[in-house]
Amino acid sequence: MPELRDRPSGVIVCAADPSALDRLVPPGHGARTLRVAPDEMMAVVAPTFTDDVRRELADRIAALDDDALVLDVSDGWRALALTGDDADHAFSYLSALAPPNDGGFVQGDVARVGAKIVRERDGLLLLVPAYWGDHVRTRAIEDAGATAGPA
Amino acid sequence: MSMLVTCPTCGRRPSTEFSFGGELRDVASPDTASDFARVYLRENTAGSQEERWFHLLGCRRWVTLTRDTGTNRIEA
Amino acid sequence: MPVFRLDGRRIDILDGDTVAAAAYRAGVRTFSRSLKVHRRRGLYCGTGDCANCLVTVDGLPGERACVTAALDGMRVERETGWPSADRDALAINDSLHRLMPVGFYYKVFARPRWLWPIAERVIRRATGTGTLPLQAAAQRTPTRFVRADTLVIGGGVAGLAAAAIAAADGSVLLADEAGLGAAATDGPTRAAIARLTDEARAAGVEILERHAAIGIYEGPAAAVLGPEELVEVEAERVIVATGAIEAHGVFPGNDLPGVWLGRGAARMAALNGVPIGERAVVVANTHEGEQVAAALRTAGTDVTLVTGRVLEARGSRQVASVTVLTPEGRRAFACDALVLSLGWAPRDTLLRMTAEPEVVAAGDVVQPGCTLEEAEESGRAAARGEPVQRRDADPWPVAEHDGYVCVCEDVSMHDLEQAWDEGWTSSEILKRYTTATMGPCQGALCSRHLAEHATAKGAPPTARGRTTARPPVRAPRLGDLIGGVHEQVARRTALQDRHVAAGARIDHSGVWLRPGTYGDADAEIRAVRERVSVMDVSTLGKFLVAGRDARTLLDRVFPLDVGSIAPGRARYLLALDEAGYVMDDGLLAALGDGSYYLTSTSGGADRMEAWLRNWADRLSLHVHLIDQTAPLGAINVAGPHARDLLATLSDDDLSRAAIPYPGHADITVGGVPCRAIAVGFVGELSYELHHPRGRSVELWDALLGGGAAWGIRPHGLDALDVLRLEKGHVYLAQDTMPDDHPAKLGLGWAIGSNKDEFVGKRALERMDALPLERRLVGLRFDGAPQRGHPLAVDGAIVGRITSCAVSEAAGGPIGLGWLRAIDGIFPDRLRAGDVTATVSATPFYDPEGVRLRA
Repeated sequence: MPELRDRPSGVIVCAADPSALDRLVPPGHGARTLRVAPDEMMAVVAPTFTDDVRRELADRIAALDDDALVLDVSDGWRALALTGDDADHAFSYLSALAPPNDGGFVQGDVARVGAKIVRERDGLLLLVPAYWGDHVRTRAIEDAGATAGPA
Repeated sequence: MSMLVTCPTCGRRPSTEFSFGGELRDVASPDTASDFARVYLRENTAGSQEERWFHLLGCRRWVTLTRDTGTNRIEA
Repeated sequence: MPVFRLDGRRIDILDGDTVAAAAYRAGVRTFSRSLKVHRRRGLYCGTGDCANCLVTVDGLPGERACVTAALDGMRVERETGWPSADRDALAINDSLHRLMPVGFYYKVFARPRWLWPIAERVIRRATGTGTLPLQAAAQRTPTRFVRADTLVIGGGVAGLAAAAIAAADGSVLLADEAGLGAAATDGPTRAAIARLTDEARAAGVEILERHAAIGIYEGPAAAVLGPEELVEVEAERVIVATGAIEAHGVFPGNDLPGVWLGRGAARMAALNGVPIGERAVVVANTHEGEQVAAALRTAGTDVTLVTGRVLEARGSRQVASVTVLTPEGRRAFACDALVLSLGWAPRDTLLRMTAEPEVVAAGDVVQPGCTLEEAEESGRAAARGEPVQRRDADPWPVAEHDGYVCVCEDVSMHDLEQAWDEGWTSSEILKRYTTATMGPCQGALCSRHLAEHATAKGAPPTARGRTTARPPVRAPRLGDLIGGVHEQVARRTALQDRHVAAGARIDHSGVWLRPGTYGDADAEIRAVRERVSVMDVSTLGKFLVAGRDARTLLDRVFPLDVGSIAPGRARYLLALDEAGYVMDDGLLAALGDGSYYLTSTSGGADRMEAWLRNWADRLSLHVHLIDQTAPLGAINVAGPHARDLLATLSDDDLSRAAIPYPGHADITVGGVPCRAIAVGFVGELSYELHHPRGRSVELWDALLGGGAAWGIRPHGLDALDVLRLEKGHVYLAQDTMPDDHPAKLGLGWAIGSNKDEFVGKRALERMDALPLERRLVGLRFDGAPQRGHPLAVDGAIVGRITSCAVSEAAGGPIGLGWLRAIDGIFPDRLRAGDVTATVSATPFYDPEGVRLRA
């Protein structure tokens, strides 16, 4: 039985020219970077490092694109971790998307809403707009058979 | 369970992830008379047409694609 | 000994029995009564293709007895016939069937008009199969999604062979409606299936038994329904190997109990050991005749095998004799079972649902009547991508002048002839008029007959084809079809728990859950008008528009003069589409660093984002559009004491000078950083506090705590509706129509006068040159108005009430409605039923807007 847990996360958006984002050196502190669009990158990191990552990104992208914008949008996202050996199978009850390979992410229809899915060592991380959080959590528990893990 | 649309960022996806933006048309017209045609009249081609799609549940960006309206296949 | 009950009677179960086999062995011959004329129907196809044996099993209707395994303790009921299938009072319909020609109900009950509702109810009670288990708990069928390189539908010889080969190139999923090999009645077939099953499994094919493909969709994709799940399969290609049944024979008496199709009869005899009768006649024009006869004999039936054309079958409760035109001439035979192998009907419904080249066929379905070796080879060929030679389903039996064509719907050959004579001269129209192919078997037996009939009648090629095949192929339950979705998707704000805890009635407002009222909407209204109140408006669309071309984009898209909005100021924004019609409204605030903050209606957020992104893309503008709908919550603090309340929670300058109307400033309230926007939607002094969503609860609690001194209470949508109506503000899509340009709504003032170019400008020029023919107006009533009620002048409808309410603040019933001009003039007195409506200027309350500018 897969487990579903809330994963408080820092989320920083970096909007810039595609060529600048192509050349951007990813931030540290264990941040995962998702190139969600040609002109937009999202960094997901443990909350304690949100500010550090935001500053790192702002400094680096400014050198490549003086019109770039970096913004902390952590409150806008809910991150739910679906863990266990059967996480992928459980995910197949929520979405027709093929889960990402190691190190990758996909974005698309999950439980009827737009979500990003990141492959982690022990399962999948689902990132959904905050207002969809409760909906996706309920679907993961009721349809995918996940058990609610400790907070 | 539906037609597949190719998003350049996200890959081949069911059309249900998208919002359809209609035939590609000019962004402006030189005068009021030609503006009427631009806004209201459609080519309604049976065959290949260029059209706009918005990937609402994915990257949330627009893409111009060519679709064959007879076979519902996206060509490019 | 395991038993089940059939209409209360105990039936013994032997190993491997289906419900039909056990019942037949126990002597049951009538399994149902036909739809219209209530004729006895017995087992016919024996393979799950026709609808004669539909029974209710453990309360669930629509189960096919011939493919349902009999289990100890099952409760089975036949679904038609009253008081029972054996003794049916409505069998009288059979003798009266000349009074009920095809389509009679369209003609007979048309007049007098009051007769039809009564007739319809009676007809409904007399027809139909089964009763819905309304007391049963709602069903939750799990739905999962599977991707495969190849989907094979059908686990017979061809399907298994195809799957084994396809596995070399990628992932393969094979679905079979029954268990693998369940249909094999002879040794060689059983052996081939066992061998190929091993081969497929060894090659890594995933096999789903008891899973029926009920539809093929674009993709290609398929819906596969199992006993306890629905699987939505996306495949690169699909191989359909669903096999074939014998062609349905049409001749007088063809629907009598005791008439069988060959493979089904063979199955009953060879697999279940049940003799189908004592003396059987097998009429076979295919080469399976010998096989069928041999199978029947193993159960002890005496078999006469002939070839030829079946002219007639006779009998009362079941078949007693048959007349066949053999090569040697007319022959009559006494029999208690008639078995037909007159030709082939491929199970090609799934194939006919799609024209995609990625869906191919193998085996019996495309080469009906092929040998085991041919079936295996065609499966392998299909998997290798080689074209499989299609063989026609020939010979196709000639239909006699009478007999049932559509067995499910009691449509006879005579009915088809009559319908054609009445002018229904194409297969599609024949289907709709006679209802042939529209029964539970969905044309499995008769769809070719319909097409053949049209062809024989000389219909042109466009009018004689097979009728369109659509999903589902098998009748799923509603619980299966909802795909695991049991509730509306709903967005929630961070304050949802607070609203629920406060006892709010939670409404679905578009895609959001929002409080309608906390118990007393009138008290909420009074709190706003007289003291102070708060409302959760986190649902609003919110966007940061930044980047070097931000102002250019906004100026080009919207009809307001963006450049004239000074930093710290905001302006009411109308969003027009290219036809000049109002799409959405909101607020545009200038942030001072060249970027802007935009709000839209709650329901319009996605569309606003898509709209702006489209224009930025098409105009190649360098803009960053960042969603703030999710990261920011918003709480509207409204009422004469709004500023007083904020002053207790904030050290910032809250004066009009610091926060102009309309305008904004960054302040801290209760320790929470907010962008306070001075707004006027409810017509009182108001501050919309936009803040980080993560601190919504903190801010809400601080406001309610601090507001206790003024008797604060929150307000919901019910109160909001009245408050905004008192100010004459429109609710988009409630008060507006999709083709309302600003002038129709009295919003012409929101269009900037100095603008060269904006989306919809030319359309507005065009429309402004024409007389206005429709307007939204304010209304006062002398009685209780009803929303949606038409407005009339001298009995002629000229408009409709779009919003209304009884308003304390406005001194009576008020509303908004649209009116049409009569000869260029808009009427000012109208009738809405018993109520008189007078056109009235808006706002109804505080027309000078003094209170919100305080």
